[in-house]
Amino acid sequence: MCLYCDAYGDPEYGNGLWYLNPKNYSRQMYKLRRLGEGFKGVETGPESGAGLPPYGILQAMEEGPEAVDKAVKEMADGYKAAGMLGQVLPLKDAELVMELSSPIGLIACLCRRNYRAIEETNEHEYTCMGMGVGMLKWERWPERYKGGVHFVNPDEAKEWLRRMDKKGFVHCLMPFGAPYIGGFCQCDYPDCALIRMQMDFGFGLLKSHYLAEVDYNLCNGCGVCVQRCKFGALKFEVTTDKANIDPLKCFGCGLCETGCPMGAIRLLDRMSNPILKEVW
Amino acid sequence: MVLTGVPRKLPKIEIDYTKCRTPFTCKKCLQICPYMVFSVRCEKEERLKETDPRIPDTYKLYSNRPDKCTVCNKCLEVCPEGALTIILS
Repeated sequence: MCLYCDAYGDPEYGNGLWYLNPKNYSRQMYKLRRLGEGFKGVETGPESGAGLPPYGILQAMEEGPEAVDKAVKEMADGYKAAGMLGQVLPLKDAELVMELSSPIGLIACLCRRNYRAIEETNEHEYTCMGMGVGMLKWERWPERYKGGVHFVNPDEAKEWLRRMDKKGFVHCLMPFGAPYIGGFCQCDYPDCALIRMQMDFGFGLLKSHYLAEVDYNLCNGCGVCVQRCKFGALKFEVTTDKANIDPLKCFGCGLCETGCPMGAIRLLDRMSNPILKEVW
Repeated sequence: MVLTGVPRKLPKIEIDYTKCRTPFTCKKCLQICPYMVFSVRCEKEERLKETDPRIPDTYKLYSNRPDKCTVCNKCLEVCPEGALTIILS
């Protein structure tokens, strides 16, 4: 069972999916959430807060594997306790989320700003999305949240999401103190701090409720899906001239599905697989 | 994956801050690194005032993830000030 659905899902809404529970977008949740000491900087000074290096883990690498395991576990526990694990969503679920949250604002991506010094200054360049009452704060603090906020309605937000999907960004729902959902990152490896943490150290993101599967009869071996996969789950097999998905590595982001020109990839419900329903 | 294996010395990337003073506007090493080893952070935050990255020393460059450094030396080539040194031990 998904960690967040277990704790914050409501069977009355969206089959118990936590991100389809309207309560988790509410103003009250924003007030109630507890981010914990380690994450306070993220909001008070995001230009210096986002993308902090995992100093403890780096130091442990010089000491040996046990020290690394310990440092990774410590950091993972911290993220979990603060409710800062993101969740990957495929485009169709991402569009449903757009109808639940208000207001929705397009903003500059802080990870790209901090890691690549990329300045996004207007609505055509923004590659991140903030949701909920927290956005009103961003608008009021232009000196911190550079580039400002561009508020959009749900239809514009969906259109923007489809554009980001076409480009090949993974949609990562970001709780800022779960269950409160405050952002919707559009991620890439290595730009995104969370995907990076997940791929390098094994924590940071929860998988989506879906799994991708290739229909070999339809696959023409073009290989488009392979370059869209950020998680290393897709490989191209020359012998059979088909794409293969490793379901244990698949995060169910659906980028391969939306990118496939033959419609040969479809998303299955993760819960329908007796083993993978335990793999998050 | 990094989690297994023997202890290893990470490459050490030294930044000469007397030479590297406006990394946010220069951004050459930040953008060329294939594994995104560097990060840039604002060091001077003032309330109700936007920090101008063109002023020297307002932003500082860090080698964020030396474990990912492949020693391709591309950053050394693009740095206009010669502020970077990579030490392998």
